Amino acid sequence: MIPEITEIFSSELPVGETLRIQRARFTPEKPDADAKRISIVSGIHGDELEGQLVIYLLAAWLRDHPEALRGTVDLYPAVNSLGVDTIIRGFPLYEIDLNRAFPGARNDFLPAQVVHALAEDVEGSDIAIDIHSSNIFLREIPQIRINKEFSEATLPLAKELNCDFIWVHDAVTVLEATFSHTMNARGTKTLVVEMGVGMRLTKAYGRQLLHGILNLMQQEGIIETPTAFKVRESFTSEVGDVFYINAPAAGLFVPALDHCDVIETGQWIGDIVDPLSGTVRESLYAPNGGVLFTLREYPVVYEGSLLARIFGVNDEKN
Amino acid sequence: MKKIEILKLESLSRAPMLVEGYLFEGNDPEAPSVAIVGAMEGATTLPLYSASKLVDFLRNKLGTGKILGDILVIPSVNHYALNINERFWPLDKTNINMMFPGYGLGETTQRIAHKLFEAIRGYDYGIVLETRSDLATCLPYVKLYKTGYEDIESARRLGLRIIHHREPESIETVSLQYNWQLWDSKACSIVCPHQPLIDPESARIILDSLINFLNNSGIIRYETFNGYDSTVVTRERIEVVQSPHSGIFIPTKKPGMTVSKDETIGKIVHALEGEVVHRFLAPCDGMITCTYMHSLIFENAVAYRIAKIH
Ligand SMILES: [Zn+2]
Repeated sequence: MIPEITEIFSSELPVGETLRIQRARFTPEKPDADAKRISIVSGIHGDELEGQLVIYLLAAWLRDHPEALRGTVDLYPAVNSLGVDTIIRGFPLYEIDLNRAFPGARNDFLPAQVVHALAEDVEGSDIAIDIHSSNIFLREIPQIRINKEFSEATLPLAKELNCDFIWVHDAVTVLEATFSHTMNARGTKTLVVEMGVGMRLTKAYGRQLLHGILNLMQQEGIIETPTAFKVRESFTSEVGDVFYINAPAAGLFVPALDHCDVIETGQWIGDIVDPLSGTVRESLYAPNGGVLFTLREYPVVYEGSLLARIFGVNDEKN
Repeated sequence: MKKIEILKLESLSRAPMLVEGYLFEGNDPEAPSVAIVGAMEGATTLPLYSASKLVDFLRNKLGTGKILGDILVIPSVNHYALNINERFWPLDKTNINMMFPGYGLGETTQRIAHKLFEAIRGYDYGIVLETRSDLATCLPYVKLYKTGYEDIESARRLGLRIIHHREPESIETVSLQYNWQLWDSKACSIVCPHQPLIDPESARIILDSLINFLNNSGIIRYETFNGYDSTVVTRERIEVVQSPHSGIFIPTKKPGMTVSKDETIGKIVHALEGEVVHRFLAPCDGMITCTYMHSLIFENAVAYRIAKIH
């Protein structure tokens, strides 16, 4: 099955080049009248590439299984296409975080036009998944971020996605400018996936999320196959607390553990060292037991830099 | 005048960043107080320059006994970015002016915002020196968010030509001005032009506006020249002129100039073939408030903003 490739936005750049945002649409020859549509989005941040792999795997799966498709699958691998091809997180030149620029407008500056075009194009989808890979500083286990405001509609879907952790967070005004808030407010059930690390691919995570997306599409009748996609049960933040470990001092962070360990209270997480003097400036220990779901990847830290996040049941409440 | 430490931050290899404020204590306990925050980002220098020239004015030019209310000037809170011409916090590229009211146990820039906010809270007036975030340069103007706590009357005392009075965007709810207003200071921003080199004319306008403000608010006593009787402009009055083509942008009219409808205000030249592909005509009578600030312009980019004359 060959998808239909469409430019959902294009703009002439100053010197002999066209900026384009592309969509691949997989749709059956005779779709059911009530067939659902799912949109998979990635590359809103140009330095995050894990979503590229997931979308590649999904597109390849759909090509191999044309008989399975019942609904419409729209793929938008590189929303910030200039940024993806140049390792720039925000929209180049403007230095705008596209995920703080929604819903955008046609008559506004170029980044706002890009997000506007995306939101218009995705509108009408039953489900949207926005795949992020943290940033270059932090590594995340596959997790879903959900705004409490929309959790009633989105939490049941999140559980189908084969992720390890579902983080339901409070509504914050500043996050109203995100893709997920904009689309949820327009009636598309939208989930944000965070996994892996910026500028890299984590192949196992890519396969894990592919499995989850196929499962969700099966549950929603977008694909129909004899295969059963069994998914793992996710931890949900509503049954515990998130503990943050920020650097107490500047230096070079040397982690003591692998990612995604289940850890105990007081367990050694790593040291902040000073290469010049050969000394350990600070040693970090877990304030609470649980699953370490975020771990710093980029070693240079300032006071306050996030080193790790742990999800667990608060010891003091036991 | 005394220097007070606002915050000190260590780095792996760079020398520690010490952010200081210059506190000029007034001699009249009844007089109001003001805090002025200069550069929070590093790719532009007018906020830094204007604040440091104000320190020079208060310290060396005003003369003794003329300061009635307390004045705190913090010329830079981001030396690390300024010194390497980075716009935002050099490691994680976060914007300090999107971290307010700050969080003392949070990320680095949240901690910087927290310490800055601790130092400037409680002043009667607050002035933020900033630049536009959208690749536009402008005439120096006042930006005043509609929060329900804003004070147009005090913003007028700056004597700048235009006060842009508008609703904050959702991302601006974490800006310094917005939070400063919510925490009971009469806060506004002076939006400074983006310039590769300091333009003495705009620098003078900004410094004069600060001096006017201090004098008109009874914070200093100083014989000077009056500024403008500011025009308050809302969003509806701003006409946006977009560029129908990409190419090389040649503006012929600058921010601050008044224009007549259908007057030529600039052109676009084909980047590879040199032909003029578009001439910009003013869509209305008014004053140019902003122009795009790079030579290479995108298709549909906002080339000009013009405050309309009704
Ligand atoms: Zn992201």
